[in-house]
Amino acid sequence: MSLSLKTAPAPPRRRGPSAAAWTAAALLAVVHALALEGTGFSLTTLAQGWQGMAAFVGDALPPDLDWTGTLGPSLRAAAVTLYIGLLGTTLSVPFALVLAVLAARVTSYGTVPYQAARSLLSFLRSVPDVVFALIFVTAVGLGPFAGVLALVVHNTGVMGKLWAEAMEESDPGPREALRVLGASRAQTALHAVLPTVLPQLVGLLLYRFDVNVRASLVLGLVGAGGIGFLINQSIKLFRFDQMATHIFVVLILVIAVDQLSALVRRRISP
Amino acid sequence: MSLRVRGLHKEYGARTVLDGIDLDVPSGGFVAVLGANGSGKSTALRCVVGLEAPTAGEITIGGNGRASMVFQKIHLVPRRSVLDNVCAGALGRLPLRRSLTPALFPRTLREEAMDCLHRVGLADRAGERAGRLSGGQQQRVAIARALCTQAGVLLADEPVSALDPRAAEQVVALLAELAGDGLAVAAVLHQPSLARRYADRIVGLLDGRVRFDAVPSAVTDSEIDRLYVPDRASVPAE
Repeated sequence: MSLSLKTAPAPPRRRGPSAAAWTAAALLAVVHALALEGTGFSLTTLAQGWQGMAAFVGDALPPDLDWTGTLGPSLRAAAVTLYIGLLGTTLSVPFALVLAVLAARVTSYGTVPYQAARSLLSFLRSVPDVVFALIFVTAVGLGPFAGVLALVVHNTGVMGKLWAEAMEESDPGPREALRVLGASRAQTALHAVLPTVLPQLVGLLLYRFDVNVRASLVLGLVGAGGIGFLINQSIKLFRFDQMATHIFVVLILVIAVDQLSALVRRRISP
Repeated sequence: MSLRVRGLHKEYGARTVLDGIDLDVPSGGFVAVLGANGSGKSTALRCVVGLEAPTAGEITIGGNGRASMVFQKIHLVPRRSVLDNVCAGALGRLPLRRSLTPALFPRTLREEAMDCLHRVGLADRAGERAGRLSGGQQQRVAIARALCTQAGVLLADEPVSALDPRAAEQVVALLAELAGDGLAVAAVLHQPSLARRYADRIVGLLDGRVRFDAVPSAVTDSEIDRLYVPDRASVPAE
C-alpha cells in the first residue's frame, strides 16, 4: 500500500474573490465617496458644532410637565395619532383584501384583472403617504381626517402587496384538493387560501399598524393633526422643553404599540 | 362501468409518461394500482380528475360524471373544524352567496356531511379542528370530504404512504368498504400486501404501460417485484 493512501489529501486551496467581486467592491467605494461629498458629510463640522446641540438639549431639559399646558394636550394628541394609525390600518382592510386576491396569481381571475390590481397596488405603494395627505388636505382641510384618508390609501397599496405575496406562497395542496372537488376560483380562495394564510395576514396587519402609528406622527408634521402637529408647533415657538415632553410621550406610545403587536404576533404564530 | 379509461397518453415535451393506459373500475369495485416512482400512476389519476390534460385518450366517468380524489398529503385546512372541511366537498354544488364562509353552509349540507363523517367513523370528532386529529384520522376526514362531493368515483393518490402501518390498514379497509357500498374506487398504493388483502383487482404499471391487470390471486409476487427493479436493463429477459 502506498504512503499517499495513509494520509488524506491536502485540502483544496481556497479561491480568492473573482474579478467581478473586485469590480463591484471598487464601484461601491466610488459611490460611497460621491455620497459623502454630495451630502456634505463632515465629522469636523459635527465636532465644532457640539455646543449648538448642548444648548438645544439644555433648552429641552427638563421637559415641561405642566398638565394643563403641555402634558395633558400631549397625551390627547398622542391618542389622536394612535387613532389615525388605527383607522388608517383597519379601514384599508377590505380594499387591501380584494386587491390582494386579484393580485395573487393563485387566486386571480385571468391576466387583465391580475395586471390591473398589481399596477394599482404599485401606484398606491409608490406615492408616499405624505403626498396623499397633502392632496386630502385640499379636500377636507387640515386635521386628523386627512391623515386617516392618506394612510388608508397608502396602506392599501403596501398591505395589499404583502398579503398577495403571502397568498402566492401558501401551500398549493389544499387549493388543488378543492379544485378537484369542484370548487370555483372564488370558493377556493375563501375556503383554502384565506384560512391557510390567515395567521400571516394578521401578522402583517399588526406590523402595518405599528408602521402606520409612526407614519401618522410624520403626517402630523404636515398638518394632519395628532402629536406630530404639537411637536412642529413647539419647535416653531422655540419651546424645546415642551417638544421634549411630546417626544417622550411619542417614545412611550411607539414602544407600547411595538410591544403589543409583537406579543400578539407571537401568540398567533402556529 | 363507472370509470373507463382507454388509450391514455401523456407527454411532457419529449418524455412519455403514460403510453396508452387502459383502466376499468366498475361501481362496487376496488382497484389497487401498483408501480415504482415515476411509472405514471399519479399522472394517470391526475388526468382522470382534470388536474393534468392528457395528450390523447378517452376518459368516461359514469353516474353524475364526477370523480373525487384524496391525496398523500391529505390537504385539509387544519385551522377549520372537521365538519367544515367535509362540507367543503360540496362547494361545487353551492352558489357563492351560500359559501362565502362556513357559517353560511345550509343545514341540509351539514347533516349530509355528518353522514359522510359517520361512514368514515369520525362523527364524534366533527367539532374539533382538523389539525388536532392524527394522520390516519385526517385522511379519513379527507375521504369523508370526497364522499360529500356525491361523486360515484373515488381516486386515492398514495393515500397511506405517510401513515403508520395500523392507520394505513384502517384507511385501505375503509376504501374497500366504501367500494362495497357501490362506489368505484381506485387507489395508488406502495404496499403490495395491502393491495393483495383488500383490492378486487391489482393493476401494475411500468414505464407508463399496464403490465398486468388481474385479481390478486392471479398476480404472482415476482410479477409485482419486477415493477420495482431499479435498473431493468440488468434484468435478463424471460
